[in-house]
Amino acid sequence: MTSPFSDEKPSSAARRIRMTVNGVAVEAVAEPRTTLVDFLRGDLGLGGTHVGCEHGVCGACTILLEGRTVRACLMLAVQADGARLTTIEGLGRDGVLHPIQQAFVDEHGLQCGFCTPGFLLSVHELLEQNPDPSDEEIRDFLGGHLCRCTGYKTILRSVRLAARRLRETKAAVAAHAEASS
Amino acid sequence: MTGGIPKTIADLPTSKARYIGERVPRVEDQMLVSGRAEFIDNATLPGMLHGAILRSPFAHARIVRIDTSRARALPGVFAVVTGEDARATTAPLGTIPDGWGVHCLAVDKARFVGEPVAAVAATSRALAEDALEQIDVEYEPLPAVVDAFEALKPGAPLLLEEKGSNVVLHKQFRWGDVDAAFRDADRVVREKLRWNRLGANPMETFGVIAQWDPSEATLTCRGSYQTQGYMALGISAVLQIPAHKVRVISHPHGGSFGGKGGMRGTCIAAMLSRQADGRPVKWIEDRMEYLVGGAGQAWDRHYEAALALRSDGRFTGLHVTLLDDLGGTPEGAGAISAAKPLASFTGCYTIPVAAYDLTLVLTNKLPTGPYRGMGPPPHNWVLEHLVDTAARELGIDPGEIRRRNFIAKDRFPYEIATGNEYDSGDYEAALDRVLEMSDYRRLREEQAQARAEGRLVGIGLVSTIEPGVFDWNAYAIVGVPMTGVPEGATVSIDLFGKIVVKVGFSLEGQGQYTVAAQLLADYFGVELGDVRVVAQDSLSAPPHFGPGGSRLGVALTGAVLGAAERVKAKLVRAAAHLLQADPGVVVLRDGRLEVPGVPGAEMTVAQVAAVMLTRSDLLPPDLEPSPEATCVWTAPGRTPADADGRAKSYLTAANACHIVRVEIDAETGQVTIDGYWIADDCGVRLNPANVEGMIQGGVAQGVGAALLEEYVYDADGQPLTSTFADYLLPTISDVPIPETAAIVTPSPFTPLGAKGVGEGAMHTTPAAVLCAINDALAPLGVQATETPASPHRLWKLLESARSHAKSNR
Amino acid sequence: MKPPPFAYAAPRSVADATALLRASDGDAKLLAGGQSLLPLLAMRLARPSLLVDLGRIADLDYVREDDGMIAIGAMTTKTAVERSALIRTRQPLLHDATRLIGHPQIRNRGTVGGSMAQADPAAEYPAVAVALGATLRLAGERGERSVDAAAFFPSPFTTALEPSEILTEIRVPMRAAGSGWSVLEIARRHGDFALAGAVVMLGIESGRIASARIVLFGVAPVPVRVSAGEAALLGESPGRPAFEHAAACARDAVSEPLSDPHASAAYRCHLAGVLVGRGLAEAAARAEGSS
Repeated sequence: MTSPFSDEKPSSAARRIRMTVNGVAVEAVAEPRTTLVDFLRGDLGLGGTHVGCEHGVCGACTILLEGRTVRACLMLAVQADGARLTTIEGLGRDGVLHPIQQAFVDEHGLQCGFCTPGFLLSVHELLEQNPDPSDEEIRDFLGGHLCRCTGYKTILRSVRLAARRLRETKAAVAAHAEASS
Repeated sequence: MTGGIPKTIADLPTSKARYIGERVPRVEDQMLVSGRAEFIDNATLPGMLHGAILRSPFAHARIVRIDTSRARALPGVFAVVTGEDARATTAPLGTIPDGWGVHCLAVDKARFVGEPVAAVAATSRALAEDALEQIDVEYEPLPAVVDAFEALKPGAPLLLEEKGSNVVLHKQFRWGDVDAAFRDADRVVREKLRWNRLGANPMETFGVIAQWDPSEATLTCRGSYQTQGYMALGISAVLQIPAHKVRVISHPHGGSFGGKGGMRGTCIAAMLSRQADGRPVKWIEDRMEYLVGGAGQAWDRHYEAALALRSDGRFTGLHVTLLDDLGGTPEGAGAISAAKPLASFTGCYTIPVAAYDLTLVLTNKLPTGPYRGMGPPPHNWVLEHLVDTAARELGIDPGEIRRRNFIAKDRFPYEIATGNEYDSGDYEAALDRVLEMSDYRRLREEQAQARAEGRLVGIGLVSTIEPGVFDWNAYAIVGVPMTGVPEGATVSIDLFGKIVVKVGFSLEGQGQYTVAAQLLADYFGVELGDVRVVAQDSLSAPPHFGPGGSRLGVALTGAVLGAAERVKAKLVRAAAHLLQADPGVVVLRDGRLEVPGVPGAEMTVAQVAAVMLTRSDLLPPDLEPSPEATCVWTAPGRTPADADGRAKSYLTAANACHIVRVEIDAETGQVTIDGYWIADDCGVRLNPANVEGMIQGGVAQGVGAALLEEYVYDADGQPLTSTFADYLLPTISDVPIPETAAIVTPSPFTPLGAKGVGEGAMHTTPAAVLCAINDALAPLGVQATETPASPHRLWKLLESARSHAKSNR
Repeated sequence: MKPPPFAYAAPRSVADATALLRASDGDAKLLAGGQSLLPLLAMRLARPSLLVDLGRIADLDYVREDDGMIAIGAMTTKTAVERSALIRTRQPLLHDATRLIGHPQIRNRGTVGGSMAQADPAAEYPAVAVALGATLRLAGERGERSVDAAAFFPSPFTTALEPSEILTEIRVPMRAAGSGWSVLEIARRHGDFALAGAVVMLGIESGRIASARIVLFGVAPVPVRVSAGEAALLGESPGRPAFEHAAACARDAVSEPLSDPHASAAYRCHLAGVLVGRGLAEAAARAEGSS
């Protein structure tokens, strides 16, 4: 990723950074010490990325950076200069839920909902890489996300349901493309 | 108010309930999965400042001097407060028992690491934290007392010198002739057990935005409050503002489990706002603050307990001695947790007499607070451990010895030795069900085979009570004087027939808004989406408490249905007038007001409501033009406690029977849970998916308690578990997924027959897992008697067994 | 938990980065993946005057075969290592060890060089580097130099890097034919730092152990090579008696074992022995399977 504004000269002054968040180009000023999660929440007003521990254990602040999950509390905003990010606000649009979100609703995959955005983005990366994960693969991928409410049972079910629906959609799209070609 | 509230789902004014009792997706979720809920840290007010709190690095230290001048001089800093400000403008924090309070900022001395000493409000949190580093505090360290037994000794360092002792309460309770029971027993089993500190750790910590209005001398506090009205009273008392001038607004919050806290943080933020001339001050507790200085520590307990029994395995008496380490002050309601076990002291069993020797003591650690279950989870472990020990000594199967002592299903309502009354139950049915699901006989055969191979396989079988629908009278022995817990709801129907219900609590995770919507959709024959639940603040809502004590589902059902009944009565009068019928013959059914048997004599709820709101000329002259009503529900038949704490307190007694299979790695001490079965009876399930969520969430926290979670302090009172890398919450790989079954014994005392279940399997899982571990260890002659059963602890036990075996050879 | 103020620079080349280090007052810190450094900043336990972000240096992110070795750029993420076919097929020990590190979200950011330079006693990579006999390439004002992994980790959270040097590459040999490997650890939870861990490599020729390497992590301040155990294995036939003896050597190999609330020194040493025993069995099975 290119960094149009990153200063190669040392400075503790706030600097202008630019990134694409949920498909929208944004430009703002950040102090070097501002973490990415504080920048998203405080400067960009994207409050769906939650802060649970600020030391990289709970996973609540997980977002996608260039399509890969990262913990937004373990990055500085200036490190994301020039990057393409997706937060929970970019998963569903205009009130239409992404199939992963819908699966969590349908399977009661959340209670308080505080950890949920982070989970959803990790599930997104998982299912992109592995459309039909086993329970062990789901556990392995989500092991760095803490949920204090659900006991994880319905989260596992939600992931399975989301995976099935996404596979079915993909198959239907492929069948349609074949039929119309 | 119980008069007209439907007692069963069949009593609702609908031909067939479409929502209540069904696995309805939650109305809360659309917003939550979209990341759009307004958790407190998402809220911003104009001119808002950010607070940060300086905390004591010492467990016990005199504060000689505080110099805040450098912090005040920093650009962007608008307020700095210290203990001197707290002394000048606030009262000590309330405590249970009363009279042991300290100020929200340490005055003269600090009593635990993490105690607030000073605070700053600045234009950003980072700047506020920079300013904290510019505050100079001169401490004179004092000897700290960290161990509860040491704190009892004469000459121990005193937390509150003026009290002359660290003992907050020492009482002995004898319910029946306990001495005779133990004297006459065929056998007595005894054990010393240690339950270490653990706690709630919701994924969201506490947060607040406090705003002082100097013009009206009022205070508004927005925050992640579990119980806004209760907090408002406390804030009013500490800040010495009349209660009607304190407005508390509970935002949706990311879980609580009792451990949200917020009293000190709120009062400090309010002091900062006042000093900053009324600018709002946000303070978000960070995770390290939560772990060392928040409301997330509970149940630091030393038990000695004994069970008297006959040679046939019948229990004749229970004696529990508890030394409960409350930490620095009793401000966190930790004492209530020591009182609540009275509500189900003798578990599922007919134990005619009981004794409780209770000592509450202060040490230089964080004050303990509430946590899911509020005290019974450790008590249940103690009781179930004794039951297993008795079974082992008598050679009776753990299931069989429990069966012999169960309260029979035809003996309800049943008053236990400590005075509470269980509403209903069928404990044998739950036991039978879980024995069948687990194929218990096969489990035992496999265990025998595994033991023959030298493997450490254990089976835990426990049966517990979850007291539901808490009442303050349960806590009389630690000085709580009240009886009854009012919970209100206001139901309104608009001129389109849509329904709004106003309540005094916000989202916390249990799905109560969905339950309210389910009830009203069925009651008035509308779609779930036609009902909206609206949270009101502490001044606007009817009397309320909110979530807590496995109570809200039942209480909300009572309040919502009570209010619906009152709205119906108005609709019936209006409809009767409009249909020119006698009000006595008009009924509500499936969303219509109708005169049965008279074709065409019917109106929809929407039509009647619209007439009430828009055509006063058509109404009977004495009918209020308002399709709205409020009902405030409290549990019926509650009695004030007697001198020994006996009371009809918790209204319901849910029952669960768990079977767990574990294997201990004999080389490393690591425990694997490889089988889990649950039969749970919480009466009628208003939303089975919600109930299962409560149970499974309780399993996870129970596994944490049994295997992972522990706050550790060193000998100087320094916390060693101040991050999530050290305080270990269960992950998706640690929590088993049990096979579950529902037993339904409706409560005869509650609306629709539901029982409290919010604290769920937290009552059962710790005991079940620990009993399974001890079943695995039994052939080696050692027992795990301390929580959590970490690999390190189990390895030490295994080593002691091995060296013992060697020396006996 | 907000970081203290610091100056920040994102140089585009290693030379610029070393120049920044040289010009700084000695309190500069390098930022690689940040997965260990960011928490330290948030807790204000790290207070650098300058943070030099290596993330904008283009040519430090690669995995390639080079002169019979696997060369890994210091800024290569653990996810890239995990997904590298070269590593999975030619040095599977490194692949397996990578999968034990944290969680996918951490591995997506955390870098190989960052872990090496952090030198956490409980981390997998330093022990793997020592076991494999990896070479670390460092760039500084006096040019480049190479350091053997065995000499790179003198004490916990400290490395052989000079204040103005930067770790640029890690070079690891490929797995020898007929050799087996194992990396095992015990943690309180999946993905946590290890209470104890063992890296084992075993070469078997004609039914006899021809080479052995045993390195412990999480047990001591630095990776510990169990030399006595390695020596005792040579020439033995792979099997329980030999492995148990080596495990006993592992238990005794640590002179200053770590201790914390989760695991005492004695328990850690015990676990080291258990893991070495299990690891040798696994490595032997793999060696026999591959030859």
